[in-house]
Amino acid sequence: MRARLLAVGWAMAFIALALILCGIIFQASGFSAPDMFASILDGAFLSDGALLHDLRWACPLFVSATGVIVAFRCGYFNVGTQGQFYLGGIGAAVAVAMLPHAPAVLVTLAAILAGMAFGALWAFWPGWLRIRSGTDEVITTLMGNFIAVLLLVWLTSGPLKDPAGSGQVTSSPPIPAAIRISTDTGVSGWIIALTVLVGVVTWILVNRTAFGVLGGLAGRNPVMVTWQGARLSRLGLGAFLFSGATAGLAGAMEVLGPDGRLVSGFSPGHGFTAVLIALVANLSVSGSVVVALFFGGLASASLYLPVIAGLPSAAIDMVNAAIALFITARSLPAWLRLPKRNRS
Amino acid sequence: MIDLIVAVLRTGTPMIYVAMAGVLAQRAGVWNLGLEGLMITGACASVVVTEQTGSVALGLAGAIAFSVLLSALLWLVIEKLKANPIIAGLGLTGLGLGGTDFGIQAVYGSEGAVTAPAGIPTLGPGFGPFGVLDLLVIAMPVMVFAVWFLCRRTRFGLRLTASGEHPFAARSVGADPARMRLIALLLGGVLAGLGGADLSLGGLDIFSTGMTAGRGFMAFSAVIFGAGHPVGAAFAALFFALVEFLGIKAQLVFGENAPRDFVLMLPYIATVLGIWISARLRGGALLSATEMRDG
Repeated sequence: MRARLLAVGWAMAFIALALILCGIIFQASGFSAPDMFASILDGAFLSDGALLHDLRWACPLFVSATGVIVAFRCGYFNVGTQGQFYLGGIGAAVAVAMLPHAPAVLVTLAAILAGMAFGALWAFWPGWLRIRSGTDEVITTLMGNFIAVLLLVWLTSGPLKDPAGSGQVTSSPPIPAAIRISTDTGVSGWIIALTVLVGVVTWILVNRTAFGVLGGLAGRNPVMVTWQGARLSRLGLGAFLFSGATAGLAGAMEVLGPDGRLVSGFSPGHGFTAVLIALVANLSVSGSVVVALFFGGLASASLYLPVIAGLPSAAIDMVNAAIALFITARSLPAWLRLPKRNRS
Repeated sequence: MIDLIVAVLRTGTPMIYVAMAGVLAQRAGVWNLGLEGLMITGACASVVVTEQTGSVALGLAGAIAFSVLLSALLWLVIEKLKANPIIAGLGLTGLGLGGTDFGIQAVYGSEGAVTAPAGIPTLGPGFGPFGVLDLLVIAMPVMVFAVWFLCRRTRFGLRLTASGEHPFAARSVGADPARMRLIALLLGGVLAGLGGADLSLGGLDIFSTGMTAGRGFMAFSAVIFGAGHPVGAAFAALFFALVEFLGIKAQLVFGENAPRDFVLMLPYIATVLGIWISARLRGGALLSATEMRDG
């Protein structure tokens, strides 16, 4: 308990440091930092309906974050959440397009499963390359993100293009309401149920199964786990597939839920934020529930800022990035440290 | 053929400068995934400063200054706050991408592109097809040689490499690994800033948000592909540039049969293949990569 409180304290301290850095940049760019933070807070939590928007963004973010937790615990830096999320969205849209006459519920289920399968596929190849030949997974998954963005652009402006669409942003045709799992608000029984289910399954996987325990050990000391007879390659590949499938599920939820179609370049900061949630929560499933609500608020603030407050939404990207810069810090420079008490 | 050489040099040079920054960091033992952020900061600062002051020299100085500042921040976070270098690097990249987006909107109001009145001076029409090459492209081989010389032929370079490979050995001859990393990152900041400046001021003299499009990560991969050797990394970066050029050529020749989006994927796929090959050549020990980047 005490260790956990200490971890929360550290996270808070470094988030504060990140916010100070952002405040300095805001001031230097000619904005008033207090006003900026007040607007962000307004957009995130205080304005009308903000909490509902918060939940709308927090659900898919939490689902992706659970996958990040599993992969990072095993010691694999799968930072390809964005690409796997896009592939999930693509899988769902393809399934809907390929089953025009099936009953609605079956299409929905098929679309969700297809999203998970596509997402897992997009995590499989970096995982395979990592485990078979030691190819650094940070680079391969990052490159996978860039490839997935282009794949999405190609699909939404080619094979899956909405013939009636005329906007600047290309997209697939709208998905019929019967197949969707929520309206445009993005909060519904389906979405909440899926999110809770993923949370519970991940919690059990991480805390109550051999896979989770061995994975957590492997992340810290792979050699020891090998000596104890666990098959590291199988563990690692499982972690990659799980994180890909959850990111894919989040993508499918987005397409079948609030978006209602496959939009080119949807939720561009999703993957980065999901990784951030997992890290801020110190790779704990229960912790990331709260953290996901916080970052869900920031995500909804990035839509609120330019429209209501007339401020650049990139401010939120900066806040997120600054938190990422500091969040893994585990020490303070000597001149900032409190004098150490004698260990008793 | 001359077309090809000129085009590959022009696309490859920004990546090579950034890759040299990566080589220095790599040798000092830092997996610098912030290169993408340094590159876009350099690209942005050079155009904005040139646009505001009208001087390309000041633009380059601005690019270097911002990039060095961010590098110092990264060093502080990794070395003094003991943050994970991978995540901190990605955070720095996010800060560069988001910060330039934010800065452009703060200074110019709307989102979009900024055009500089002038670019880095080129050789001029006297040199025929090579006339479009700018001075940073011409200086590139010298820079690669200088980095090679620094790493392989000076006492400083040996200590730098030792700091990355075996900090204990470095300490035993009186070199402070933390200080070596600071120097490597600051020097790298200069190079990455120049690389970013060459991306914007060496081409259309335009900065647009997100214009690096992963080139910083490619430069980082070039370091891995080139096994941390400056010349190897430079050739790896040229290889990625060549793939990009061939893709564009293929599109001109085959038109609709080579869809634009798939052509744009080629450099990323080449990058994956490149680091896969280098992992195979290294012998593919499962732990080798983690040891260094987490240590």
